[in-house]
Amino acid sequence: MSKFILNIIHRPEMVPEYAEKVTGQGKKEDIGRKSLLTESLDIFKLQQEIAHENGFKTTIQMTYASLFNEEAVQLAKEHHEKYGDEIGLTLLGLPCKEFREKYKTKDFCIWMFSMEDKKSIVNDVFEKFHEVFGFYPTSTGSYYMDADLTNYIKEKYPMVKCAVATCWEEGPKAYRTCNNSWYTLFDGGPWNPWIPSKANTHAPAANAEEDSGIVAIPHLSRDLLACFDGNGSNFGTHPQNVLRGMIYKDGEYPYLFNLIDQYKSLQKYNNGYAYNMMFVGPGWMNKMGRWEAPYELLVKSYRDGMAYYAELRDKGEIEDMTMTEFADWYRVNKSYTEPECALWKDILYGSEKQLFWYVDPYLRTCVDMNQGGALIDLRPYVAKLEWPVGIGTKHVQDASYPFLIQSMYRAGYFTHYAGEGTIKSLKVSYEGEEVDLCLCRTKGKYSKKGKDTILTLDPVEIEFSDLKLKLVTTFTFTEGSSEIKVSRKIIEMSNPDAKVHLNEYMTACYGTTEYPEDMCGITLRCAGKEETKELSYNYKCREESVSNATKVEAVVPQINTRVSLIPGSTGMEGYLREGYAFSPMFTLGLTKTISNSEELITCLKLEKAD
Amino acid sequence: MSQAGKGRLNYRCPSCFMRDLDIDMFYDKDTEEYYCLRCQFTGKEDEVLKLNEMARFRYKNLLKRITDFE
Ligand SMILES: [Zn+2]
Repeated sequence: MSKFILNIIHRPEMVPEYAEKVTGQGKKEDIGRKSLLTESLDIFKLQQEIAHENGFKTTIQMTYASLFNEEAVQLAKEHHEKYGDEIGLTLLGLPCKEFREKYKTKDFCIWMFSMEDKKSIVNDVFEKFHEVFGFYPTSTGSYYMDADLTNYIKEKYPMVKCAVATCWEEGPKAYRTCNNSWYTLFDGGPWNPWIPSKANTHAPAANAEEDSGIVAIPHLSRDLLACFDGNGSNFGTHPQNVLRGMIYKDGEYPYLFNLIDQYKSLQKYNNGYAYNMMFVGPGWMNKMGRWEAPYELLVKSYRDGMAYYAELRDKGEIEDMTMTEFADWYRVNKSYTEPECALWKDILYGSEKQLFWYVDPYLRTCVDMNQGGALIDLRPYVAKLEWPVGIGTKHVQDASYPFLIQSMYRAGYFTHYAGEGTIKSLKVSYEGEEVDLCLCRTKGKYSKKGKDTILTLDPVEIEFSDLKLKLVTTFTFTEGSSEIKVSRKIIEMSNPDAKVHLNEYMTACYGTTEYPEDMCGITLRCAGKEETKELSYNYKCREESVSNATKVEAVVPQINTRVSLIPGSTGMEGYLREGYAFSPMFTLGLTKTISNSEELITCLKLEKAD
Repeated sequence: MSQAGKGRLNYRCPSCFMRDLDIDMFYDKDTEEYYCLRCQFTGKEDEVLKLNEMARFRYKNLLKRITDFE
């Protein structure tokens, strides 16, 4: 298969986010302002015109506000007839006179409402849509769709097949970039389309029983390296986001095309399939300009982006679909357990950094080749964590899927002065010297063998004062296993008789943000053939170890997760380390002394705790 | 001195931008300067433009078309 699929989505947002705040500067708020409505509709028309000129069909996601606007409704009907555009319904763009009068709130993000309001809003919006068009939509969406919301929609409107359901790594970083005032906190999901589970939108369904009934698509296709550290809203298939990042000079932004091309290149890792989506809210093309980018440049970038997609289409390299067409295609061509993979390279900063991203229904992880193959992100999807969000729940705004490892939020290898950060890596020691693979920069290669996804790293060189060696790391992800097998093999030694000590370790905690959570309640356990040692986390900096280890594990009840390291051979020592208040982490490890040509195999396993 | 408003374009603070913060600046027409509410930056339009140029230093591939993604 060779398929690169494109979804283009437009929404007639009668009161664009930003627009009222920016264009209305110095005026009293009035969301019914005539000039605002006219301009908003004009932007939608222009976006549609640009797509159609380039021969694309779009998915028109009607907003609640636009359902009260005859011209917007008429345009949607015409474009459906003439261009084959799909008429869908978004839960973005709720604000309008009718909405404010009924709900008496300025809230506008569907996942943050109380469950009672979510239901009522869904009913209102879907029924109004039906009243206007005479049918129910088959696609919907928002920046985030929580599981309870999706489940309700599917129960009430089972014809819905597709939804924009998250925005990749839009969380604490976006919040901070927006002066701590943009509450879209939903890190930790897949970057490409997936089938959400009924329990948690981020975590893909493992089988029909867990299937929420929709195909989820991300809001934009994001840069998998730049967004992991920087402000996500600068690096995506959203031309004006690229301008926001100031990633252009003299009206040229090759980065946008590099990004699209890199997404296309992901076909190599996903059985020939790749995906892109462009979804620019009208606020980004308003006449006042957007920050330092004038209107003309905003429009030019949209035209250029669309023209580039058209160029690819004309070469037979990309195919446009509406959201519902895509959902149908996805259902036929993908299975629940097939992983989504991306070997991603830096295309902006000129470094040689390379990351490997992996998602399946059991876990999401990221391997950093620039740190010798350290795991820098780990989300235990296998827990299928029930995490209600919105008013009246424990998480009014925070919809992120919790991590065990997130090396940006909870430090990785490097910490200031004391303590440890979250990371999974290997330490090699010899006669009192120790080297962590985090300091060995390398590259990786992807391969596939039956049900195994294999990432093989180029050999790294380790130099002690009295010994040099080369070591190769291989990661194997077996479909459906909820495990990552890691092999560390010594392939060369300057002294073939030397023996080195390998320490495969994982330092972890749990959370969704930069700030520490209480670790009390976590149980750490190391089991050996002869004995088992266990401790309950209490910040006492304790350590335990067993010989002939069979398993070392942590049970984290706060996120209903059991994480363990399992030896792939006999004769390993297993250890655990509790942290302390200044280092609220735990460490699990397996160690063994090995010789040249020998290999240390361990397995990281994730399970639901209860 | 009357209240500040918006300038010709809605410039962000270049100093904050470089620490990944998007903060709109306001314009003081008496001094013809933009200023930031959050940090201490203040500057005329040409200085803002120059600093925005500088902010791009980290994008070493800003103008490079890339075809190899291995
Ligand atoms: Zn500032």
